[in-house]
Amino acid sequence: MSALQRSPVPPGVQCFVGAAARQRRAIEAAAVSVFEGWDYEEIIPPLYDYADAFASAALSGKTYSFVGRDGSLLALRPDFTSLIAKIAAGRLADRPAPLRLYYSGEVLRYEPPKAGRQSELYQMGLEHLGGDARAADVEVLAIAVECLERLGVGGAVLALGHVGVFAGLVARTELTSSSLERLRERVDARDAAGVAFALDGAGVTGAVRDAVLHLTSLGGDASVLGEARRAFAAFPAAIAALEELRETVGALQSAGLGRVVSVDLAEVRGLDYYTGLVFRAYAPDLGFELGAGGRYDTLLARFGRPMPAVGFMLGLDRVALLLERQARALGDGAAAAAAESIATARLGPALVEARARRASGRRVRFGEGDRA
Amino acid sequence: MSLTVALSKGKLLGGAAALFGRAGLPFPEDEGRRLVMDTGDLRFLFVKDMDVPTYVEYGVADCGIAGRDVVMESGSDVYEPLDLAFGRCRLAVARPKGRGLDYRRASTVRVASKYPRVATAHFLERGVSAEVVKLAGSVELAAVLGLADCIVDVVETGRTLEENGLEVVEDVAASSARLVVNRASYHARREEVGRFVDALRRVIPS
Repeated sequence: MSALQRSPVPPGVQCFVGAAARQRRAIEAAAVSVFEGWDYEEIIPPLYDYADAFASAALSGKTYSFVGRDGSLLALRPDFTSLIAKIAAGRLADRPAPLRLYYSGEVLRYEPPKAGRQSELYQMGLEHLGGDARAADVEVLAIAVECLERLGVGGAVLALGHVGVFAGLVARTELTSSSLERLRERVDARDAAGVAFALDGAGVTGAVRDAVLHLTSLGGDASVLGEARRAFAAFPAAIAALEELRETVGALQSAGLGRVVSVDLAEVRGLDYYTGLVFRAYAPDLGFELGAGGRYDTLLARFGRPMPAVGFMLGLDRVALLLERQARALGDGAAAAAAESIATARLGPALVEARARRASGRRVRFGEGDRA
Repeated sequence: MSLTVALSKGKLLGGAAALFGRAGLPFPEDEGRRLVMDTGDLRFLFVKDMDVPTYVEYGVADCGIAGRDVVMESGSDVYEPLDLAFGRCRLAVARPKGRGLDYRRASTVRVASKYPRVATAHFLERGVSAEVVKLAGSVELAAVLGLADCIVDVVETGRTLEENGLEVVEDVAASSARLVVNRASYHARREEVGRFVDALRRVIPS
């Protein structure tokens, strides 16, 4: 059969066979064992829900939605976090906070496949809902680090920021939402020239202008926090955010994790969603992040159970790609061990033999041999 | 492991060579037809200008030099820490002289451009539905011969427009050469990338 006669495959879908599938399961098992080790409970949420459960600026236009028989608008899950928030406020409403929940599964997004991003993504992550926010931030970061260690990722770095710093600097500027977004996007691109242009275009001057411009260069080790505290002394909200971040980074440093984290105050994603700590995991040999997380204290109120929350997720697809590039394999060699052939000249006795070997845990291959 | 820098052999090459020279960084002397040049400290890739952001976004190159116009058109998710202050030009809407540009009169504006993404966004932001015709070059001709109502193209001196009886009716964006950096390299190889960025930053004319 020629290539042209084969059934076409829609772009963005994925399919894994044999060794590749085994490697993915091994990655998942490693991450899940870390989640379980920190006393998180698994949640298997539905594959689709009412579309309004997923309403967020970042995902708008990216959900596969469809109309249900009753005319309601449904959507395939484009992420887990909003679903879990909805469930925590709904069927888990009686459970006292904090809730520690983890998930592992596919999400679907309408995105042109590019830069390690398919329409079908496999995410492994967790949410810490309620409880002491400072302790939860540190816990989630520690789990992220342990996952990367357990997976054997070489040279991984968690870049930490806090959206409250940027938000605190621009709090009194009365920027329109579109100029604010343009500014945020340029800060995120570490583009000082573009930030200056956006500030001038929006008529932002004086101390705020200087401070926001400074933000793009505030990346590196924990010492940038001190520099930022001096530079942003006139902005109490930004200082409060820096203090939170300092406490978090300090805890990681005392646990010897200082070398795995860096601080980058230009890390300003999803201002409509994140409310505090934000972080992304990177490693050399992979051009894009392995995973990301952050604090989102306002999401649960949308579902009627206001409480602070923090979470993170790793992209299994990206971890698999990175481990392949770093030539690291997870999982047990036994699974790939050669199977023992069972000759099936006589089916009944062959089956007896096969079942006996299976009972002792051996790997058999049934039906090889000389059946006439 | 040395950093990999993506460059294009187009109009930004001279400015890049001068910049690297001032910064005391190695630069491939005569690149000939080779597409990868290793100088020991830095490894250079020569690719088409429109492809520089792509190589950097995927992390095949850690850094690259590309015009802001090209970065905008690629839509690549890369960091842009330095405006290198050469290769200045602007993207603008132009059309045959004396005809102006009145969006309100047409339900759809037909625009020819090498920058379909930038052109579409420009008109969308103004609430205008644009039919963008992607061309590979000689874009001026499209407006002269009526393939399109107007063009969105790079304007440096304005001479090409002038010679073809076109004029700028609206600016889209200013452009200059940018240093683009892969996001993972920026964080996971922060010291090396930081040294490289600082070396260039010191010699950019203000």
